[in-house]
Amino acid sequence: MLEIENVSAGYGAVPVLKSVSLRVKRGEFAAIVGPNGAGKTTLFKTISGIVRPTSGNIRFDGHDLLAIAPSARAHLGIAHVPEGRQIFPSLTVLENLEMGAYTPAGRHAWKDNLEKVHQWFPVLAQRASARAGELSGGQQQMLAIARGLASSPKLLMLDEPSMGLAPTAADEIFERIVAIHSGSGLTVLLVEQRVAEALHYADRGYVLEGGRVVLEGSHDELKSNDRIRQAYLGM
Amino acid sequence: MNIAQFLENFLQSLIAGLLTGSIYGLMCVGLSVIFGVMRVINFAHGDFMMLGMYAAYYAFGLLGIHALFGSAAGPYVAALLAGPVIFLAGVLAHRLLIGKVTGMRGSVLQSEGHYAQLILTLGLALILQNGGLYLFGSTPVSIATPLASNAWPVGPLYADKIEVFVNQGQMVAAVIAVVVVLGFVLVMNRSRLGKSLRAAADNPEAATYMGIDVERSHRLAFGFGVGITAIGGGLLASGTSFQPYVGLEYVIVMYAGVVLGGLGSVPGAFFGGLTIGLVQQLSTLFLPNQLQNTAIFVFFLFIVLLRPQGLFGAALRRT
Amino acid sequence: MLDVNWRRQTLLIGAFAVAYGVLAAFVEHSYYLLILAVVPVWAVMGLAWNLLSGYSGFVSFGHAAFFGLGAYFVALAQIHWGLSPWLGIPGAAVIGACAGLVVGIPTFRLRGHYFALAMLAYPLALLYVFEWLGYQELALPMQRDHAFAYMQFENQHLYVWLALAMMVGAMLLTGRVERSRFGMALVAIREDEAAAEAAGIRTLAWKLKAITLSGALAGAAGGFYAVVLLVVTPPAVFGMLVSAQALIVAMFGGVATLWGPVIGAVVLVPLSEILHAQLGNIIPGIQGVVYGVAIVAVILLAPEGVFWKVKDMLVRRRERSVPELAAAIVADVVVLPVNRQRSDGPIAMEVRSVSKAFGGLQAVRDVSIRITRGEILGIIGPNGAGKTTLFNLLNGFIATDQGDILFEGVDIAGRRPYEICAAGVGRTFQVVRPFRRMSVLENVVIGAYVHCATDAQARATAEAALAQVGLQYQQHKSASMLTNKELRLLEIARALAGQPRLLLLDETLAGLGAAEVDEIIAVVRKLATQGITIVIIEHTMQAMVRLVDRFVVLNEGALLAEGLPQDITRNSAVIDAYLGKRWRAANA
Repeated sequence: MLEIENVSAGYGAVPVLKSVSLRVKRGEFAAIVGPNGAGKTTLFKTISGIVRPTSGNIRFDGHDLLAIAPSARAHLGIAHVPEGRQIFPSLTVLENLEMGAYTPAGRHAWKDNLEKVHQWFPVLAQRASARAGELSGGQQQMLAIARGLASSPKLLMLDEPSMGLAPTAADEIFERIVAIHSGSGLTVLLVEQRVAEALHYADRGYVLEGGRVVLEGSHDELKSNDRIRQAYLGM
Repeated sequence: MNIAQFLENFLQSLIAGLLTGSIYGLMCVGLSVIFGVMRVINFAHGDFMMLGMYAAYYAFGLLGIHALFGSAAGPYVAALLAGPVIFLAGVLAHRLLIGKVTGMRGSVLQSEGHYAQLILTLGLALILQNGGLYLFGSTPVSIATPLASNAWPVGPLYADKIEVFVNQGQMVAAVIAVVVVLGFVLVMNRSRLGKSLRAAADNPEAATYMGIDVERSHRLAFGFGVGITAIGGGLLASGTSFQPYVGLEYVIVMYAGVVLGGLGSVPGAFFGGLTIGLVQQLSTLFLPNQLQNTAIFVFFLFIVLLRPQGLFGAALRRT
Repeated sequence: MLDVNWRRQTLLIGAFAVAYGVLAAFVEHSYYLLILAVVPVWAVMGLAWNLLSGYSGFVSFGHAAFFGLGAYFVALAQIHWGLSPWLGIPGAAVIGACAGLVVGIPTFRLRGHYFALAMLAYPLALLYVFEWLGYQELALPMQRDHAFAYMQFENQHLYVWLALAMMVGAMLLTGRVERSRFGMALVAIREDEAAAEAAGIRTLAWKLKAITLSGALAGAAGGFYAVVLLVVTPPAVFGMLVSAQALIVAMFGGVATLWGPVIGAVVLVPLSEILHAQLGNIIPGIQGVVYGVAIVAVILLAPEGVFWKVKDMLVRRRERSVPELAAAIVADVVVLPVNRQRSDGPIAMEVRSVSKAFGGLQAVRDVSIRITRGEILGIIGPNGAGKTTLFNLLNGFIATDQGDILFEGVDIAGRRPYEICAAGVGRTFQVVRPFRRMSVLENVVIGAYVHCATDAQARATAEAALAQVGLQYQQHKSASMLTNKELRLLEIARALAGQPRLLLLDETLAGLGAAEVDEIIAVVRKLATQGITIVIIEHTMQAMVRLVDRFVVLNEGALLAEGLPQDITRNSAVIDAYLGKRWRAANA
């Protein structure tokens, strides 16, 4: 469904991604792990169009993604839940979800999606009219994910959903993500700091280091690979 | 001067301040949309307002609004019509000029983008002012409604010593201003478009992820901003005369109001404008009339130096 | 800027002035002579604007304030005190300078658009005040008896030549400023004020000097203008068109250059004046429209002016044809880690229980670190751990909520970044911050000013610093043309020029390839052997383990662990922080 071929990208003079290739199949749960500065967030930004690659191409669901304007990519069915939650703080919880349903697909299935989202994350129903900026970190993360789901996406991209959360909150988030994937068959691409969890549930994993894919494999192949520890800690 | 006299002057200024302040509030709301959503300083804002005043003037005269609605209500209708006209002008200006130096495309470094916006809108202001001088002539005009020359008496109060007057024209204008502000706030809060504008202001990157075209949002916000201020200008025109350089007089008033109200807060901007109106009118109690605007400038400088985040409204947090 | 041949520049200025003056001698029509006299006045205004806004980047829409004050001073002084403009104009310069200082002190506390708005307000406020004071139209009295003593010349040519003299003076002054550390500091401030401060530049002091000088020039220009026109009205000298003209003349010709405002004045002023004369009746406001269109066109097509556009085109053509000079590789590339225990020896910096919160977020939580002199300390930790915040605290960019920071025993908490730099702490930045419009050498010279009294010393120190990092053959290259690796080395060199005893390196290895990483590591190693204490934040662990003596690990703002690389990378708490508890459990 998503094919990234030899993509290089960076910011100004600083190259971050160096000829990265990966693929995500329909219905798959793929995980990208790797230390900071490896380029994981940059990769997501390139997929979403905020960063323009210097070379390579990206295909999504048969479309050449690079030929499509950034704000149009969501309409194709890509939902990007960004790093650091990035909810709209001055809008209410419900309004944030409404913005998630900005795409035609989202609007079409609004009622159903809202119900499902309330089931998965009941707190969002309870605090529907609260300003999003007032929620706790964990609640904001749930809101961010729900907002992504509200667009009825074909691909859900999650950038470090557990970052900055207390361990129990992070566990909860992770379990929900897994439940959503197994429940709806949605294609999920996850970037995670918590390597073991990510690789445990993922069908396929990629290890990104220094802007390159240094390791890839099924979750069996990667589960206990010390190369991963080395990637993070250097020796 | 005795107490009663002073009180009377004070109350009169207070009323005048509230009424003109309401119109200023409307104008400030327009500016705050642009400033809040786009973080753009628009030096030409006063000049778009001037265009609105002339649009109202021509609608009133040439397009027959006068004939249709009479001379009492006509100016107000013309003022309202000025809104959509200037909205279109604003959208055009953004597409051709302003959009090229603002938004996600416009700047590599925050500071570079700012510099270009400031200078571009300054150039635009000069073009509008002086182009206006050519197109409209330098003779002041107005679409004064006869209501502006009548006033409702309030009083007598305080044992017959105090009587103040409420100018009818200003009162009607103030009510219209408040209604327009309320209407706009409603649109911003309830409509999908309004929510997408607010989302784009909160976090343009995340808004793009949602599929919101931030560039288009900015264009619309710019159009709304100048359009709303144009209505305010039209309302002002129903009471006073104006000429092509009128924009300069009000630029600082509007910025003072927006900054006072707190960046990014539309209701805050209204109250900021109201306060500026009050300051302006109350300053006549102890300053000569000609220094009214200087009083505002000084007040503005104080706000900006001492409390740049404003009195009302929350500071806009960009995630 | 450093290497401008000032002798040649002075000759050029002189030649231009002579040519202009001779040309004027042939003109007899009084209207054209008036234009010829007014062009240098606007050139001076443009140079004045340039001095503040062009070089330092603080856009002023309020130079009319200084201009108007100067004009009114000369007029009023002559009317009330009988003061001749020969004295009045210098007096106007003094008034302008004082006004500049008075305006600058509060207004420089404002950022970005607030500064521009405030500057816009000053002349408008003054306009109203002067109208209220009753000075709607002030005419300079005719002095038939002592005409020359009152600058009222029969021969109009004298006005032109006098204006020319004033312009030459302003140009020579600007040239002098450009070449000195004054000009360099201003450009550095414009390019990146934070980096300039970290390099030891006293930003506020230089900005105030700039606005004072700028105000003086504008005041003198205003004073002369009053003499030439013989009538002063508030809109004519305080109006927005005046500020706009100062700005457009400088911008059109070339921001932050000596000749830019002159070019702009020579092209735009006659153009608008003639259009006004010919079409002013048919199309009132033509001048304003011309200037407005010029401003819009310039900002969209050539934002930095004609001068730079042309120069850029020429430079690009030249640099394409010159072959790349390879950077000299410094010393030997050491790949094996050198394990040095450095826990004894005097303490270079001590961080004691430092905390910092932003709103509700605790970014740094009770962190205590001791940095030994001469060691290479690595600060690592997962994303959001507070590493850069810590550097910003050490460097003076932000203030601590609690705790002390002692550098060589002295408390540096609350000191400004340039003071900390002067005390001996240098810094590089996570996102590289070169001064793009300057050459490599100029970038580094900025860093040298803090400890070098003369410009010659600064240059020598800069050249030495460049040699230390291996960039000495790239001295004259523009910073905007450097590769990522060269930019990193440039930042290190700039910090070195400040003769630091402790160097804070923030993600110096980001985005580099393996060979480039080795080069930088070699440079850093050499610096450490010369006795500089190094503290480095990095994510590239492969490199760090080869470089550092000791690690300090931060997680969620707090100190998690410290010790030798081989211990840290197997430390269970550290592994948990980076990889998650489950990983450790699965791989115990």
